[in-house]
Amino acid sequence: MAYGTVNADVIGTSVAGSNLGAGDASLMKNRIINGAMVIDQRNAGASVTATNASLYTLDRWKANASQNSKYTVQQNAGSVTPPVGYINYLGVTSSSAYSVASGDYFNIIQSIEGLNCTDLAWGTANAKTVTLSFQVYSSLTGTFGGAIQNSAGNRSYPFAYTISSANTWTQISVTITGDTTGTWLTTNGTGILVSIGLGNGTTYSGTAGSWSGNYYFSATGATSVVGTNGATFYITGVQLEVGSSATGFEYVNYQTSLANCQRYYWKVSGDGASIGGFGSGQCASSVTANIIFSYPVTMRTAPTIAQSGTYTINFGAGNSTVSAIIGYTSSAYGRIDATISGATTGYGAAGWLSNGTSNFITGSAEL
Amino acid sequence: MMYQIQNDFQGNPVAVTIVGQIITIPMDEANTDYQAYLKWVAEGNTPLPAENT
Repeated sequence: MAYGTVNADVIGTSVAGSNLGAGDASLMKNRIINGAMVIDQRNAGASVTATNASLYTLDRWKANASQNSKYTVQQNAGSVTPPVGYINYLGVTSSSAYSVASGDYFNIIQSIEGLNCTDLAWGTANAKTVTLSFQVYSSLTGTFGGAIQNSAGNRSYPFAYTISSANTWTQISVTITGDTTGTWLTTNGTGILVSIGLGNGTTYSGTAGSWSGNYYFSATGATSVVGTNGATFYITGVQLEVGSSATGFEYVNYQTSLANCQRYYWKVSGDGASIGGFGSGQCASSVTANIIFSYPVTMRTAPTIAQSGTYTINFGAGNSTVSAIIGYTSSAYGRIDATISGATTGYGAAGWLSNGTSNFITGSAEL
Repeated sequence: MMYQIQNDFQGNPVAVTIVGQIITIPMDEANTDYQAYLKWVAEGNTPLPAENT
């Protein structure tokens, strides 16, 4: 063996259940964004009720439910002590004792962009093995489930894991042999969807530990969190990495984690200042101001722009609140034509959000 | 929920909005909100025409 050659895939550590090595990426080994549940731009720690319209909760994490109001999601719900090394977790609380029907599904999911999965070579003979790991804490014990899916929902790998002790943080590790068939996007669409099951009917539950051509969110026989009123299910430290064993969680500094999330969603609000300046341009007419602005980072695709609360355009000595917007957006920059009143054509225009977190503008290019 | 087309000054459709909200959805097929709009149309629904046409 030549000097300097390391002939090992895995190097044990003194931390139970963790190793070094295995993957081939030392940076961004974790394909999950916001796996430590630190970023919560939309709700800033407030509880949200899952709906059947799929609702984003903490950044990049979506509540995927077939029925309304069966569970809530909140950063640090229940205020338990997070695992050592973490300050946040995603907390699910069941809102009722719901009997899951065959066609029901209740999950927490993250869609990983295909551009961040290109090296996995899934759908080819060179598909790489990956390992999903996370820390979980629940008021329930038993066998729980989840799954990995492709974007078309015609390839999935259900998995099962055990929580033996209630209300105790437990490290979970699931190794998944890469799928050598199926279509796995390597574009800005969904490359891999990770599902953490909270209760799924037979239609969406499959045999754990093998690839299927079906649309499964979880494993057959998994415990239903939504089946017990008040049941809690907390999760953090979610990591999906190349290799056949879990390595230590990849710590990402706050700013990097925020920027990673902002590729999919950003929110600018009028909090913390009497004037929250956002965008500038000119008055194209007495009723329209062309306002241009940059995003925090380049987004996955052209975003949806939404306004809530009060957004005002200043022009000369006058001003007018915005009542409608028409967007001209790309993935890198945006322009809105804001509907106002009483403006003078050709005047400069400056936008500002009224003070308070209820006044905000968002850009969304979520998966 | 009802969608409405948004036109530019030349009367060309550039985006869609949701009636009752201050929101603008680009006509970008990679945008999941626009995908939801296309699904809504495919289900037989018709958006309101743009106001400035």
